[in-house]
Amino acid sequence: MRNKLFSLSFVIIMILSLSLTGCGSNNTNNNAATATDEPAATAAPANTGGDAAATTEPAAPSGADISGKITFLTNRTDMIGKEYDEYVKRFNEKYPNIKVEFEASQTDYNQQAKVRMASGELPDVMFIPTIPNSDLPKYFASLDDLGLTDQITFKDFKSYEGQLYGITTGNSTTGIVYNKKAFADAGITEIPKTWDEFLAACDKLKAAGVVPLASNFKDKWPLNDWVYSVPRIIDGDPNFPNEKLTSDTPFTMDNGYGKSLSLLRELNEKGYLEKDINSTNWEQSKKDIASGKFAMYYLGNWVINQVIGAGTTSDNVGFFPLPYDNSGTITAPLSPDFFYAVAKNSKNVDAAKAFVKWMIEDSGYEDFAGFISPLKGKESNLTQLKEFQATGVVLQEGTVDDAQVTEITNKAQLDLPAMAQEFVLAKDPQTVFDKWNKAWAKAKKDLGY
Amino acid sequence: MFGTLSYNKQKMIIIITFLTIPLLLLATFTYYPALKLIYYSFTNWDGYSPEKPWVGLDNYREVFGNPDIFKVFTHNFAYFVMGILQNIVAIYFAVVLSSKLRGKNAFRIMLFLPYIMNGVAVAFMFGYVFDTTNGSLNLFLNSIGLTGLGQTSWLGTEGLVNYSLASTGFWRFMGYNMVIYIASLQAIPKDIYEAAKIDGAGSFQTLWRITLPNMKPVIQLNLFLTVTGALEVFDLPFVLTKGGPAGASETYVQKVVDTAFAFNNYGLASAMSIILLFFVVIVLVVQQLVLSRGGDK
Repeated sequence: MRNKLFSLSFVIIMILSLSLTGCGSNNTNNNAATATDEPAATAAPANTGGDAAATTEPAAPSGADISGKITFLTNRTDMIGKEYDEYVKRFNEKYPNIKVEFEASQTDYNQQAKVRMASGELPDVMFIPTIPNSDLPKYFASLDDLGLTDQITFKDFKSYEGQLYGITTGNSTTGIVYNKKAFADAGITEIPKTWDEFLAACDKLKAAGVVPLASNFKDKWPLNDWVYSVPRIIDGDPNFPNEKLTSDTPFTMDNGYGKSLSLLRELNEKGYLEKDINSTNWEQSKKDIASGKFAMYYLGNWVINQVIGAGTTSDNVGFFPLPYDNSGTITAPLSPDFFYAVAKNSKNVDAAKAFVKWMIEDSGYEDFAGFISPLKGKESNLTQLKEFQATGVVLQEGTVDDAQVTEITNKAQLDLPAMAQEFVLAKDPQTVFDKWNKAWAKAKKDLGY
Repeated sequence: MFGTLSYNKQKMIIIITFLTIPLLLLATFTYYPALKLIYYSFTNWDGYSPEKPWVGLDNYREVFGNPDIFKVFTHNFAYFVMGILQNIVAIYFAVVLSSKLRGKNAFRIMLFLPYIMNGVAVAFMFGYVFDTTNGSLNLFLNSIGLTGLGQTSWLGTEGLVNYSLASTGFWRFMGYNMVIYIASLQAIPKDIYEAAKIDGAGSFQTLWRITLPNMKPVIQLNLFLTVTGALEVFDLPFVLTKGGPAGASETYVQKVVDTAFAFNNYGLASAMSIILLFFVVIVLVVQQLVLSRGGDK
């Protein structure tokens, strides 16, 4: 009996630590306060680093005026002594009198940052941990004077009372990651721009004996984008997830949720997903995409490097936005990674701000890490992201999750990806929506919202 | 320095010092958390806030007011069925492997080995066995010509998934039960068998009239372990199916874990744990009443 209890608790600990450190793709959307669908920078392994040698500007005359020593607490311990040294060299060409030091975050960044906040010893430049936006002015300096406010993405994400406190280090999007050879072998010459074309492509792939779309349905988290991103882009409203707050029936067949999940259901009914969606294997699927046994993923751009790592070359992997309807104009979701911030009590606020600005504008970090630039409309140097942007896709920024919506979701024990599974497997999908609408309305009433 | 103390006092000191550490460990890691659990079940703590608002019996009311929570116990039925089967097979192997048999120790070790393996590792392993398209089970069925059966989605069919999962538990715990049964078999005095043989009892009669009645307390223990195991099953569905397809293999403990860690409702989860504890106690009492009706002890 005690043995069983012991092994049970051991299992729980194992699982928890696994899910924290594991394949870098699990996420806990329910308790995370942000709308980030993809894992933070943990996922993107080194790609080339050579890309980072962007334009080196001649030393600006104003740069020499700012001086001081700053510390940057970073989670990218792999870049210390390598890419960061090269960044500092280029940075010092512009700002010769600023000395930059890097501090490696040895443990969980979020936790470490919070401990440092509590002790009041913040590094000059850091990433913002998960704290409510109302706490931002207590610790961080306003970044509005950098003159970037109108150029950056996600300017409202880490703002409070009109002041900007954090700038995203890089953004991710979601789209179809595909094996180019599998497409060519199936006779698909052009990437699909409408839903009908997409289905036709799936049909060709299926006829060629390839599994068109690897959903990894069983593992549940790979369905996250179908419930966290697709509904808001179909609805054309970044704030769509938060509008559940005003409704007693947030899930209907004709709103974003119903439309998005119906797409997934249709793919399954037509046999375009794995043969048995209740028996899928994530690790194996990466190898199968790389080898062309499976053709596509619908996941974030972070998966591109993992597919390449699973045994194919970069030029065999393509990336395009999901054509969720037949209109021909496509929107894709954009989600931020960590946010840069400058400590309010830093001795060299100006130097720290200059460094943040340089990191965003000139470092080329986003290409190294596999992100989309934090600056609006800046083209990526990465092949797949370039292809993606060349389709003329509009990137839709997400909004911060409303705390009340999260509260109701937890109270109703609503797990959206699990609901997506039920929806696809149910005989009558409407019953699934009815069930969760009821739970939602009850939780909302109980909480008094 | 202890030489001046009397023998009894020395004995007392040794007993007390030797007991302190295990009792301290037991208190810190078993009783203290258990008391905390009871306390949390009366709050609606979210798991991280410093304040833990007292809500009285609200959590218990919520659990009993929501019949959906108890519906998952129907999934545990499969584990119960498999558990009974597991005990019958374990007794069979125990009897066979206690008789004169060449290489019986090798067989015992083979059957017991799965129990030593870590539960999560076993679950991962069976993930490969039960895989529909590439799994070894379906490949085997196909290779012996059962192509129809070889298409089965062992973990994706609603009525089947719990039995597939429970059969993994069967594989893992059968050896453990068997070892307990072997131990109890060896404790039965040989002269009873000899006497029965002289009286002309057949092997089935010895099994039914001598072996089984003598093993009764041990059978009771194993059944208790099986029943509580069936009620508390967690790791297999958690790793293999995540409760899928569409919640068909979700178990009560999994619901508790989700409530606490995914939905940040530690209070409600604590109440659910306490309720499970009472369930186990009730089942145990009922089982005790039913099985000891013979009234020997």
